[in-house]
Amino acid sequence: MFEILKNKEVGPDIFYLVLKCDELSEQPKPGQFFNVKISRKLSTDPLLRRPFSVFDFDEDQNILELVYRKVGRGTEILSKYKAGEKLDVIGPLGNPFSTEKRSGLIHLVGGGMGIVPLHYLARTLEKGEKKVFLGAENSDELEFFTKRFKKMNVEIHRAAMTEKMEIKGSVLVLWMNYLDQEKPLFVYTCGPEKMLSAVEKECLKSSIQGQLSIERRMGCGIGVCLSCSCETTEGNKRSCVDGPVFTLGEVVLNA
Amino acid sequence: MPEKNASEKFDLSIDLAGLKLKNPLITASGTCGNGKELDNYFDINKLGAFTLKGITVSPRKGNKSPRIAETPSGIINSIGLENPGIDQFIKKTIPEIAEYRLPFFCNISGYSEAEFLELAEKLCGRKEIAGVEVNLSCPNIEGGGLAFGTDPKTVYSITKKVRKIYDKLLIVKLTPNITDITEIAEAAESGGADCVSMINTISAMKIDIDKQKPLLGSLTGGLSGPAIRPAAVKMVYDTFKKINIPIIGIGGIRNGKDVIEFMLAGASAAGIGTINMIEADAALRIIGEIKDYLKKHNIKRLSSLIGKVHI
Repeated sequence: MFEILKNKEVGPDIFYLVLKCDELSEQPKPGQFFNVKISRKLSTDPLLRRPFSVFDFDEDQNILELVYRKVGRGTEILSKYKAGEKLDVIGPLGNPFSTEKRSGLIHLVGGGMGIVPLHYLARTLEKGEKKVFLGAENSDELEFFTKRFKKMNVEIHRAAMTEKMEIKGSVLVLWMNYLDQEKPLFVYTCGPEKMLSAVEKECLKSSIQGQLSIERRMGCGIGVCLSCSCETTEGNKRSCVDGPVFTLGEVVLNA
Repeated sequence: MPEKNASEKFDLSIDLAGLKLKNPLITASGTCGNGKELDNYFDINKLGAFTLKGITVSPRKGNKSPRIAETPSGIINSIGLENPGIDQFIKKTIPEIAEYRLPFFCNISGYSEAEFLELAEKLCGRKEIAGVEVNLSCPNIEGGGLAFGTDPKTVYSITKKVRKIYDKLLIVKLTPNITDITEIAEAAESGGADCVSMINTISAMKIDIDKQKPLLGSLTGGLSGPAIRPAAVKMVYDTFKKINIPIIGIGGIRNGKDVIEFMLAGASAAGIGTINMIEADAALRIIGEIKDYLKKHNIKRLSSLIGKVHI
């Protein structure tokens, strides 16, 4: 059981959950997730665990940071938990991003809550030029993320659908403006599947390597139920244990 | 040590048509992978038996996503029998399970009678497999598309033909999506089944009211979890009165008390499904809870509870 240190709203329906994890089997890697049992002891509401990717991890103090959006019954109940309460959490789970050292420009493209895993990834990647592209509905949704990315040595570019930031529109359009001028060595992306599909298409066209993190509705999170299967070039794979991180071009995306 | 005393004092063993299980807990097919996934979380040898993920003759990619939806105290799934096909299963999965020391049941699904027979034939003589569970919930393509398990004559016919080929434990899994499940259970018994497992998921759907569309990729699915338990208990209770072969009770079990309830209704063993997806090592906790119950009620042999509410 992990103790909640913080669970507060940091944007419109966006919550920042900080947990003290004393008994962790291994240190989480960027792209991995934790599966949280939200129902209290004997309750069946909600029944299934909910997966959340790692926003940050402090290895000295074993403090895990997650960020989630209140979208349904599970996250609604989670948002009511107070500091001092405990949560039954399994993890880290899943296949992480590759963080091998690369000498060249790295792009990170995140849409909506897809920004979450890219934060821990950006912090973990070795020194080198990195540009992060963040997109959301409005600037309020990006405020907390921006504050945290600013603590790192990364160049930040932002787009919002309903107001002008660097541009008014999708992060995809913003990123493609930069892609016209420069060729990154590697691209990491996470967000809505349509966005992933478009990023993948551009990268493959320009022979840019990269990885994406996919979000498919999960059941168990440990590879037993096949709820989160995705079609890949090597047959079906489970996004919970074989993913959620895949190489660009590997998964058949729902565009 | 309390644990040691407990195991000496209580007999949790179950006789499933001649196959002795050390306890009544059997993983339900499709909720527990093929062994190694759960073995990351606990020693699966502690289970009574393990039912493997369902297999078909040809490989299947499964249904469109989303494949799972949550409902009050339950889940609706429509995985669509994603599996690598029997040949790949024999080549890859069977050698993997050989290292464990517990009975494995193979869940088989066909889209025609001939497919069931082909599957049974290919599994016959495999020493790693202790039994076959015939899943009759697939649509009968040649028979108009209704599930095999909804027609007593078809159930009798398939069971009888599989029985002729397959000499080890033959389990028939019953669908609850029918007027009277006891007729189907009787047909399975007459056809030569060694036991029945019940119930499979209850046909269900969920609608995304914001998108104004069905939530699941395949529109509908099967409901499981605590929500269906009372319905499953009633069906086990009714069936116990009609047949003389053992029943594996399945439906929303999540603790020791639930297992006891199914056994009192007439089940000889208990299939655990949805709970594995939430608590991978739930079986260990449930075994402890069964012992607690026996201790509290001063019962030595768990099997003495089978069908006790009928007496």
